[in-house]
Amino acid sequence: MRLEELWEQLEARLATWGRTHSPWAVHFNSGSCNGCDIEILATITPRYDLERFGVKIQGSPRHADILVCTGPVTRQARERLLRIYEQMPSPKFVLAVGTCAISGGVFQGCYNVVGRVDAVIPVDMYVPGCPPRPEAIIDGILKLLEKAQAEGVAT
Amino acid sequence: MQAVIALLIFPGGLCVLLLGLAYEWLDRKLMAQMQNRVGPRWYQPVADLVKLLAKQETMPNGVNPLLFIGLPLVGLASVLTAALYVPLVGLAPSYSFRGDLIVTIYLLGLLTFCMSLAGSNTLDRFSLMGALRALTQLFSYEVPFLLALLGPALAAGSWQIAEISAYAETHWLILTQPLGFVVALIGLMGKLELSPFDAPEAETEIVAGALTEYSGRGLALFHLSRDVALVVGLTLVAAFYLGGMANPLWFFGKTLLLLLVVSGLQALFARLRIDQTVGLWWRYGMLLVLLQWLLMIVWR
Ligand code: SF4
Repeated sequence: MRLEELWEQLEARLATWGRTHSPWAVHFNSGSCNGCDIEILATITPRYDLERFGVKIQGSPRHADILVCTGPVTRQARERLLRIYEQMPSPKFVLAVGTCAISGGVFQGCYNVVGRVDAVIPVDMYVPGCPPRPEAIIDGILKLLEKAQAEGVAT
Repeated sequence: MQAVIALLIFPGGLCVLLLGLAYEWLDRKLMAQMQNRVGPRWYQPVADLVKLLAKQETMPNGVNPLLFIGLPLVGLASVLTAALYVPLVGLAPSYSFRGDLIVTIYLLGLLTFCMSLAGSNTLDRFSLMGALRALTQLFSYEVPFLLALLGPALAAGSWQIAEISAYAETHWLILTQPLGFVVALIGLMGKLELSPFDAPEAETEIVAGALTEYSGRGLALFHLSRDVALVVGLTLVAAFYLGGMANPLWFFGKTLLLLLVVSGLQALFARLRIDQTVGLWWRYGMLLVLLQWLLMIVWR
């Protein structure tokens, strides 16, 4: 019995270590003005080199751990955002990048906009800015990993 | 007992897996250095593997569950079997029989085949497209690659990997068959779907190719088999063209040199379109190998 517990604990620790050291991201634009997306692209250039932290941008949501969301959620994109979120295997995290993703920003109250990202899917970390600098995005990802580490990823 | 150890721990099994992960890291690190980046940490492939293994595996609707679960296993098993027939780290192959060169190449091809089947098993159009491209590419590089590896076999007068590498110990075939060496090395890149030939998994066009629907364990196993295939392929080319079996350190140096060339080529070239890939292999690759064979026959 004791041995089993120990084994389970070890397993959980190993899994948490793996998750926090190899976050693969998928990027989705749910209605952003493209400013935030350009910053995200700048973040994955050699100058900032996200591979240092094990981050890899993946094409398929099925391979990703982190959903990087930009912009407010428009009525059209809502369905797609939900679908992409559902397609990701758990444990999964959501990073909301930019003021619009946090609060709706300048698009707040528009007839075609649902609103901020966390009105549609749960968000784990917010990166403010219009648009946020690549450094801020990297900081957001690292904070997210710290949070995941602290939680031991209960999901 | 000895057979079990050879099968599971050294030089087969565990040792190949670890070697595969190490080579993947080296490849990524070298690429990063060439692109002026810092690159991944040394345990990155292990972390990726652990994470994928611990992740949820979703089985999409409309797939055949048996194939969905079985194909990654068959793929990994086939490359691990192939590893037993090649002189890993410069030691004599654990198993050897007449004609094992053909079996090894077949087993390496089986991995690509498994990936394509896995892609066409799902209803997703991206994986279907990726599977189609992977098969198209298989038919283009396979023949030149095979002929390039048969060149040393012809020179040694044997189709047994152990005998060919023993022959290559005294004859550096890269000097007598330079064209064959070039085609074999680039064919290896095609086989592993590395950068200029990565149209089957072009993430800007078809999401992630044949493996789009895979998550968790299946993906981890496919990644692992790709790494093992890299090790097996590099070992084969190094043993055939760069002076056969040698002491492990020296042999290691040779495969690392090959890896350096491969990652350099990856960093240098942009992705080829699928029709360009096919054209390249049938127009130039094939021609080069045939020229090599002609030279060999005339030389004799
Ligand atoms: S936060 Fe600024 S840059 Fe980003 S989507 Fe909104 S308006 Fe555009």
